[in-house]
Amino acid sequence: MSLEQHDLEQRSRALFHDSVDGVDMAMRSRLTRARYAALEAAGRPGPRGWFARNPLWTPAAGVTAAAVLAAALWFGTPLGQLGSVDHHGAVTADSVANLEDLDLVASTDEGSGDAMEMLQDDIDFYAWADKAAGAEPAA
Amino acid sequence: MPRFDTLNAAWMVWDGPAPAPEEKVLEQTRELDRFLAEIERRAFRMAQVALRDPDDALDVVQDAMLKLARSYATRPSAEWRPLFYRILENGIRDLQRRRSVRKRFMTWLPGSKEDPDNEARDPLDNVADTGLAVPEKLMQDQAMQTLEISLRELPARQREAFMLRNFEGLDVAETATAMGCSEGSVKTHYSRAVHTLRERLGEVW
Repeated sequence: MSLEQHDLEQRSRALFHDSVDGVDMAMRSRLTRARYAALEAAGRPGPRGWFARNPLWTPAAGVTAAAVLAAALWFGTPLGQLGSVDHHGAVTADSVANLEDLDLVASTDEGSGDAMEMLQDDIDFYAWADKAAGAEPAA
Repeated sequence: MPRFDTLNAAWMVWDGPAPAPEEKVLEQTRELDRFLAEIERRAFRMAQVALRDPDDALDVVQDAMLKLARSYATRPSAEWRPLFYRILENGIRDLQRRRSVRKRFMTWLPGSKEDPDNEARDPLDNVADTGLAVPEKLMQDQAMQTLEISLRELPARQREAFMLRNFEGLDVAETATAMGCSEGSVKTHYSRAVHTLRERLGEVW
C-alpha cells in the first residue's frame, strides 16, 4: 500500500466520521424516531399489497407490469426519438437511454418483490403522467 | 392426528425447540436497538452521499431498519451489519432507478422540465450546521464536500465498495455480502475507486 493511498483512506475516513458527528440534532431525532418505528413495526405483520398476499399472482403480475411499462417506454416515445439511427448508421443517444431504462426495470433483484413494490409505489405517478400526456400531446 | 387442549400440551409432545420466552425476545429487541443506534448516523450519511437528498436518505435508512428488524432479527447479531448494508445499498439503487425512470418519463411530457429532485444542488446545502465558524471547521466541511462530489462521480459499485470498506470498516468478506458480489469483485471495485479518488483529490487535498 502506497503512502498516498494510506493518506487518502485515513483522511477520507476522518472527514466522513467528522461529518457523522456533525449530523444536526433534528436529524438525529428523526433517525431515533425512525429506529423506534422500525422496531415497533417489526413486531406487527407488514402492510403488503394484494399481490403479496396472493403469492401465486406475484410472478404473473410482475411480468405483466414489466411488459406494460416496457411497452409504454417503447411506444410512448415521440416518433423519431426511439431506436433512431442517424445517417451514419449509429444508434442515437436517446435510443440507448431508453434501452437503459428498460434495463433498469428488468435488472431489479428477482424474487425480492422490489420490482413490484417499485411499480406499485409509482403507479399513481404513471397513471397521472399517462393522463397528462394524453390530454395535451407534445408539440 | 393427535389433538391438544392447550398449546403447551402440544409443545410437550413436539420434539422441536420451545418457543422463545418473552425475555429472550426483549433482549433480542434491545440488542437490535443498540446495533441500529450505533449504525444509524453513519448509514444516513452514506445514503446522503449517494442520494444527496437528506429526506431520501432518511427514508432508505428507515426502510433498511424495518426490513432488517422484520426479516433478520433472529439471525446472529454478527450478521446484521453486512445484511443491513446490503438492504441499504439495494434501497439506494432502487431509488436511483426510480429517479432515472421518472426523469426519462418526465422529459416526454409536454412542457416538462428537469425533475427538481435531480437538479444539482449547492453542496453547501448539505453541510451540517454546527454553529462553529472557525476556519478549520470550514476547511473540513469544504474538504468533505469535495470528497462527496468525487464519490458521487464514481460508478455506483466503486462508491459502495469504498464507503463500506473505508467508512464503515467492513472487511472484504462482509463487503462482498453487503454488495452481493464476490470478494474478488470487491477488491477490484475498491482498488479502482482508490485510484480514481487519488487522481481527483490529489491536487485539491
